[in-house]
Amino acid sequence: MLLDSLKSAILLLISLDPELFEIVGVSLNVSFFSTLAASVIGLPLGFIVAFNNFRGKRFTLTCLNTLLALPTVVIGLVVYSMISRRGVLGPLELLYTQKAIIIGQVILIIPLITTLTIAAISKIDKRYRSTALTLGANQRQMAWVIFREARYGIVAAIIAAFGRVIAEVGISMMLGGNAKGFTRTMTTAMALEYDKGEFVLAVALGIILMACAFAINMVFHFFQGRVKSDVI
Amino acid sequence: MLYELQNLKKQFSDRTVLDIASLSLTARKVYALIGPNGAGKTTLLNHLAFLDRPTSGILRFRNSVIDYDNKNLVHLRRRVVLVDQSPILFSGTVWKNVEFGLKVRGFSKKECAIKIPAALERVGMSHFAHTEVHGLSGGEVKRVALARALVVEPEVLLCDEPTANVDQENQEVILKILEHANSMQNTSIIFSTHYLSQSRRLAHQTFLLQNGEISNENNENTFDVSVKEERAGWKRLYLSTKENLLLGEVESSRLSEGNSRIHLNAHKVILHVPSSSQVNNTSFPTGIVKKIAIDNNTVRLMVDMGVELTILMDISRYRENPPLVGQCVEVEIPDKAIVVP
Repeated sequence: MLLDSLKSAILLLISLDPELFEIVGVSLNVSFFSTLAASVIGLPLGFIVAFNNFRGKRFTLTCLNTLLALPTVVIGLVVYSMISRRGVLGPLELLYTQKAIIIGQVILIIPLITTLTIAAISKIDKRYRSTALTLGANQRQMAWVIFREARYGIVAAIIAAFGRVIAEVGISMMLGGNAKGFTRTMTTAMALEYDKGEFVLAVALGIILMACAFAINMVFHFFQGRVKSDVI
Repeated sequence: MLYELQNLKKQFSDRTVLDIASLSLTARKVYALIGPNGAGKTTLLNHLAFLDRPTSGILRFRNSVIDYDNKNLVHLRRRVVLVDQSPILFSGTVWKNVEFGLKVRGFSKKECAIKIPAALERVGMSHFAHTEVHGLSGGEVKRVALARALVVEPEVLLCDEPTANVDQENQEVILKILEHANSMQNTSIIFSTHYLSQSRRLAHQTFLLQNGEISNENNENTFDVSVKEERAGWKRLYLSTKENLLLGEVESSRLSEGNSRIHLNAHKVILHVPSSSQVNNTSFPTGIVKKIAIDNNTVRLMVDMGVELTILMDISRYRENPPLVGQCVEVEIPDKAIVVP
């Protein structure tokens, strides 16, 4: 049965099935914007935490690490309670839209981007800081030096976050509602097809998802490699 | 006055790493800081570079007390550059690294294009201008770091062990760069080193740092030794810092067994110049004559015994059997030559 499904799935891919590529488009669109929004928040946050010594830093790190393990259904539930008709943000009518999925996914990956940014910046030798300062850099110029030296680690953080959201199913299902042509992502479509006992589309989407994951990992390892080879 | 330090202390929890009662440094001079590892040389240089702030005490630069407000520090740091013991280069090309200090000071591309080649030329790295820094050797990294520091024409150049971990050829190049910076650009230089020969060659004045304090004792011929009585009445002196190299054996009742810091009176150390057949059959430790200098009626000999030992002798005694540079000699340390601080 699996082999038949695989054969049919490949034919579906070759025939450039419009429904299939619509689902892929929604997935990439949602994942792209959620990663972008989370990066805008998570990168500066990671930089501030890594760069400064303040009271409660250890506690902040513990909280961020804990949030890494936050289940997607919990995020889905919390966001649902806020954007549903009776929620605080109910009037905005966000429920079962791509924006709702993006909000949930942003919450999911902000801790990931922040902690990986902290790790990338913390790895940078302290001497970069003192060297920039002794050469006359002000705080902003010195911060830019550190950011530049940590750039491959930071890009790796963004790629890891993208990989996390494109493969995520709980938030997309709970907040997107799996509406065909609007909020149906690769993972929710696969879950639906599985429920229906229709494996062809599910396997085809699975192949694309795996290809995406493979491509993301290739890029991730490329940047990870650059991080290692950059150490002088 | 370039720098003035008064009762300057740096403490980490309850440990005092720097405690300088008074120190004055004048402009356009070269100063050397010598002392064992952990003596506080790097901490002192970091304070002079305004990268660290003291726990207590006063630091004056050009007769003004340092205000550790960030804005003031940026202006001060643009007049003083510290080159680390293991300098770090920013990722990118050699050119980009040398350009950094100029860029943060607002120099235009045009000005950079004039200054950078000149700085690289001075350190002999012109042909590496557009090379990525990854592949540079330790010596080359130090030379680029010096170019990066000198290109901004600082009033003060601070160097933490500028020749550490580089080969002889690069050591010589680095020393010449420092000499040139002081003599041609009037840059004040303060550097730390473990080599007395370098401090003698470059420095107008040398300070010995011990346990964070500037020591007043003469640092020449001062050694940390391990004293062991291996035959009755005779004490063997092993250098603690040089993997227990034997410095000599003395008949002394003043020295007790264990670790001690001693000073050898250069006038009282005796030099024997054996014939070539005698050299391998001696009772005294041997060394190689590295340098001979005559000052009035006194001859100063530098003998390399694994550590550098200075021996002073009257010119008439020297003429009796004069050793040559490169010759192997025997060194006798009589009890009266030992000064226990």
